[in-house]
Amino acid sequence: MALIELEHVSYRYPIGSGLALADIDLRVEEGEFVAIIGPNGAGKSTLCYTLSGFIPHFFRGDLQGKVQVAGMQAGSSTLNEWVLQVGLAFQNPFNQISGAKYTVFEEVAFGLENLGVPPDEIRARVDEALSLGGIRDLADRSPYSLSGGQQQRVALTSILVMQPRVLVLDEPTSQMDPAGTREVFGLIRSLAERGLTVVMAEHKTEWIAAFADRVVALYQGHVLLDGKPGEVLTSDALLDKGFGISRYTSVARRARERDLWPSDRPLPVTLDEAAAGFSHRSSR
Amino acid sequence: MNDFSLYVARDSGLHKLHPLTKGIYVLFVLVAGFTLPGPWTSYFVVAFGILPLAAWGKVLGIHLRSVWRVTWPFALSVLLIQGLFWGHGEDLVSLGPLALKKEGVAFAFISIGRILLVMSSFILFSLTTRPDMLMISLKQAGFPGSIAYIFVTTLQIIPRFQSRAQTVLDAQRSRGLETEGNLLVRSRALVPLVVPLVLGSLVDVEERAIAIEARAFNSNHKETSVVEIPDSLLQKRIRAVLTAGAALLVVAGFAWRLLS
Repeated sequence: MALIELEHVSYRYPIGSGLALADIDLRVEEGEFVAIIGPNGAGKSTLCYTLSGFIPHFFRGDLQGKVQVAGMQAGSSTLNEWVLQVGLAFQNPFNQISGAKYTVFEEVAFGLENLGVPPDEIRARVDEALSLGGIRDLADRSPYSLSGGQQQRVALTSILVMQPRVLVLDEPTSQMDPAGTREVFGLIRSLAERGLTVVMAEHKTEWIAAFADRVVALYQGHVLLDGKPGEVLTSDALLDKGFGISRYTSVARRARERDLWPSDRPLPVTLDEAAAGFSHRSSR
Repeated sequence: MNDFSLYVARDSGLHKLHPLTKGIYVLFVLVAGFTLPGPWTSYFVVAFGILPLAAWGKVLGIHLRSVWRVTWPFALSVLLIQGLFWGHGEDLVSLGPLALKKEGVAFAFISIGRILLVMSSFILFSLTTRPDMLMISLKQAGFPGSIAYIFVTTLQIIPRFQSRAQTVLDAQRSRGLETEGNLLVRSRALVPLVVPLVLGSLVDVEERAIAIEARAFNSNHKETSVVEIPDSLLQKRIRAVLTAGAALLVVAGFAWRLLS
């Protein structure tokens, strides 16, 4: 069953002349993990805001086409209805901390308090979410005393505690070091494995190849490619358009030009795929 | 514990008081300092109404340091401006064409006392009151959630703003921007410092707004809280007495000014 359906969706910000999204069609099944890639200005963040209801409820502008997410329609459902179904996390973990809470436990409870959930139920749900987010040991720490990776996990857990059906992530690891990236991707993978529908804008192609079910490449507000990670991330259509290309893909592409990569083998995205391809070539 | 607020965790009776009790006490001492007559009034209120409480709250040292750091630039400015340019009559000290007038210095003394009172009471309140507790108590007292949120987070944003300003300053200096020298050089540096600071802060505000909206901040439900703020009948009575006392002082202050 499709949980997300976008048909002929176009959007223009109130300030700005061009279309940020141009005639987008997208269908995401329940439980799918879809990665959105694209150079800066391709429309990734705009798409994330559209899927999470912030367009048109927070950013006004001009939205055209059909946007349906978890049974809600853009324009007819309120933002409060959207946030119950769709969780949103984005790049800067610092700005996702409410600033009004003293401990991580209270920070995670913030959304449920706003929803008027009884305190006993909040405590039980926060406990469960802290375990799910792998941050139980941080419960009594100040959110401001944490590393970027820890803060991002707190931000994700603060969304998860509200039990959304869809999780939309806008480059959640862009400000992370490798350790922080590993922490956050580990959490997202475990959520996807539990059946949560995840849509994630991201540049880190090697991680995407390892985790995503499907990749959508956006370019100048259009869907350029939509398919399996291995096919999209190694496509020649991405060349010279500012997409982040895995270093292993680039090396193998050069090697293929010199007949050093097996012609019958797809280009690699990850280190393991590259190592396997070169081992295969040298053993022949 | 919290890097972006003044709060200092201590196991003290002052820390355990309800935030509104402390808030209303601050209001009361401010009203007392500003309405009661006499040049020493504010100093007296600080000495007997604030410092003993700072000692009770086990924050006397950090309180004195914080008050000194914040107050002395204002105090010096007030002393110079009012001493040099306010009042007539006898000079206290003169240096060439400049003279500190006795009347101006006396007036500055009262003003400095009031600045000291405002700073020391607010700093004591901030040192001993958790921002989240303050927000919850304001909401429970009937303040709209958004106003309480803005009030509490604004207190925490000041250190964040300072930190961002330092980052922008360092970044622009590393690109060769002259920020030291005469007035012309400094004023030239203002635009490349202020523009990224303001734009960056606006982005921060927008992101923060989205983040709290994503957590149902504007939900129509009646909010609940996992943090319980201990209160007592005694504290409620103290708050009522302090509020009545402050109102009485305001009325008495007006009456005294009208009659004198």
